[in-house]
Amino acid sequence: LADLLNFCTSQQLSFVHQFVSPLLKKDPFTTLPDELCLRILSFIDDPKVLARASQVSRKWRDLLSDDMTWKNLCLKHDYQRRMSEIQAPARQSATPEAYFSGQHDSDQANRGFSGAPTSTSLPATFAASTNARPVRMSYKSHFKQRYLVDAAWRAGGRNISRNITQDGGVVTSLHLTSKYIIVALDNAKIHVFDTEGNPLRTLQGHVMGVWAMVPWDDILVSGGCDRDVRVWDLSTGECLHTLRGHTSTVRCLKMSDSNTAISGSRDTTLRVWDIRTGLCKNVLIGHQASVRCLEIKGDLVVSGSYDATAKVWSISEGRCLHTLQGHYSHIYAIAFDGQRVATGSLDTSVRIWNAQTGECQAILQGHTSLVGQLQMRGNTLVTGGSDGSVRIWSLERFCPIHRTAAHDNSVTSLQFDDTRVVSGGSDGRVKVWDLKTGNLVRELITHAEAVWRVAFEDEKCVAMALKNGRTIMEVWSFSPPEEEP
Amino acid sequence: MSDKNTQKVTLTSNEGSQIEVDRVVAERSMLIKNLMEDLGDEAIVSPIPIPNVNDPVLRKVVEWCEHHRNDAAQSADDDNDNRKKTTDIDEWDQKFMQVDQEMLFEIILAANYLDIKALLDVGCKTVANMIKGKSPEEIRKTFNITNDFTPEEEEQIRRENEWAEDR
Repeated sequence: LADLLNFCTSQQLSFVHQFVSPLLKKDPFTTLPDELCLRILSFIDDPKVLARASQVSRKWRDLLSDDMTWKNLCLKHDYQRRMSEIQAPARQSATPEAYFSGQHDSDQANRGFSGAPTSTSLPATFAASTNARPVRMSYKSHFKQRYLVDAAWRAGGRNISRNITQDGGVVTSLHLTSKYIIVALDNAKIHVFDTEGNPLRTLQGHVMGVWAMVPWDDILVSGGCDRDVRVWDLSTGECLHTLRGHTSTVRCLKMSDSNTAISGSRDTTLRVWDIRTGLCKNVLIGHQASVRCLEIKGDLVVSGSYDATAKVWSISEGRCLHTLQGHYSHIYAIAFDGQRVATGSLDTSVRIWNAQTGECQAILQGHTSLVGQLQMRGNTLVTGGSDGSVRIWSLERFCPIHRTAAHDNSVTSLQFDDTRVVSGGSDGRVKVWDLKTGNLVRELITHAEAVWRVAFEDEKCVAMALKNGRTIMEVWSFSPPEEEP
Repeated sequence: MSDKNTQKVTLTSNEGSQIEVDRVVAERSMLIKNLMEDLGDEAIVSPIPIPNVNDPVLRKVVEWCEHHRNDAAQSADDDNDNRKKTTDIDEWDQKFMQVDQEMLFEIILAANYLDIKALLDVGCKTVANMIKGKSPEEIRKTFNITNDFTPEEEEQIRRENEWAEDR
């Protein structure tokens, strides 16, 4: 045969080539057993390649509908929250606290993976969630969903903008829940919107600025300069109780269960309220200055104060278990996961404490100004400071993972999840960061003079900002279009 | 224990021809390794039949094992680690895999049968790389596949997969 080919002209050879080469080609997916085909597909991590491959032939389409391939892809892309989405899907509320130093709700954020005691409260909210997705979902459609949401976060999404006030009222608090977007202002008003950002009602009753609030299903507890703590029914707008006792501004508020709210005040005390009966169950006395921030886990409440200490209290016993001493100046922000307490201070450092023993485990240094923002989630801590930087820390090694010069001015608000960090600054910018790389993904708001608050969920982000002298709300949606039936 | 590096074993392909290789080389195959451990020295004296693999393919596989004789032995976790890795293939392996498709698939089948995970992965990655970056039509051309969709089906499946495009 070789001799024969040697006699051929190049034209003839070319013919032979054209004739022979298809015969040398073979469809791997009909040649190889399915398990090996799937192994081949496991080396492909671009969904575009898989999507195109599924259009080749029926055999290829059938192979590519195999859910293992998409499960692998979910794993590779870290889209692993399928089970947790089914069991505890709603990040019920992202909870930026008060103006310029709110600490985010690590409590909420941690529910998902630590099986915290409060998680039992979630199913009701989930059932009502407009975002509820079918409980059984193939990995392929799950992947598609997450992929499209991710793509929209990177470069897409729809947004609406709404004027909240005609002047530049300061937004002191913002919460997203499965039913509502709730905004509190220093002009004494609390605005309630549906999840799309359509106004539902305004809660009026406070006579001075509202500085703290916390939602729980249809209940909202709020407090502020007028020293009152008010309990509202969000579905009707009715004020159910006015809780009196504090002798100065209420600065922070959290709930430990559906009946119990705890407030911290400039009068140096914390008060434990039964919001059903409207009675004060306990007054926690011990701080020497304003109580600026607090966080609850189980029976423990931790409070951070301008007296430079944090305290761990037993709610049921009403007594102080530990005083966390070490900071040189005011504590502005606190996070607590049941084991560890993180505090951010005007002394520019962040300290990590053991809540059981009261020992300081680590001092995280790097910020050059007040650390007013912090959130803890698993072994990751994210902090934001008046120096404009956002820092991502490892709590296993107590060292920084990423440092970004995020904003030209103070970081006023931040939140993070497994994928991203969203920060807002008094430079008028909202920035989305990749949690793993620390790189800037995009900016969300344009031409604002200052951003008061940001909060986000998987498929939504809300920013409160000052724009053209007015307070506005921007609601971003990253949900993909509804699936065709 | 005698030195595995100098011990020889003989493999017999399905066509009956015999290939003599160093025992360490043959033991890149978990199948052969386990067989030898089970049978002891008996296995070393008599030829080991590899009934599922023909002569040219067996020689090719032996060539690969010779080159990779000093690689770290595969562990149980290898499977997972490899999956996370990209489709990078080292230069020698790339050259090694420059064979016609028939041979490529035969190598994959042989590697699977002989339980040589690293070779199996190189083969699978090679095929994966042939699929990447191609349109459905280009994939069909690459592997000489007939489009057996009806135009309606094709349009439908194209729409179903539109989400992954242009992102």
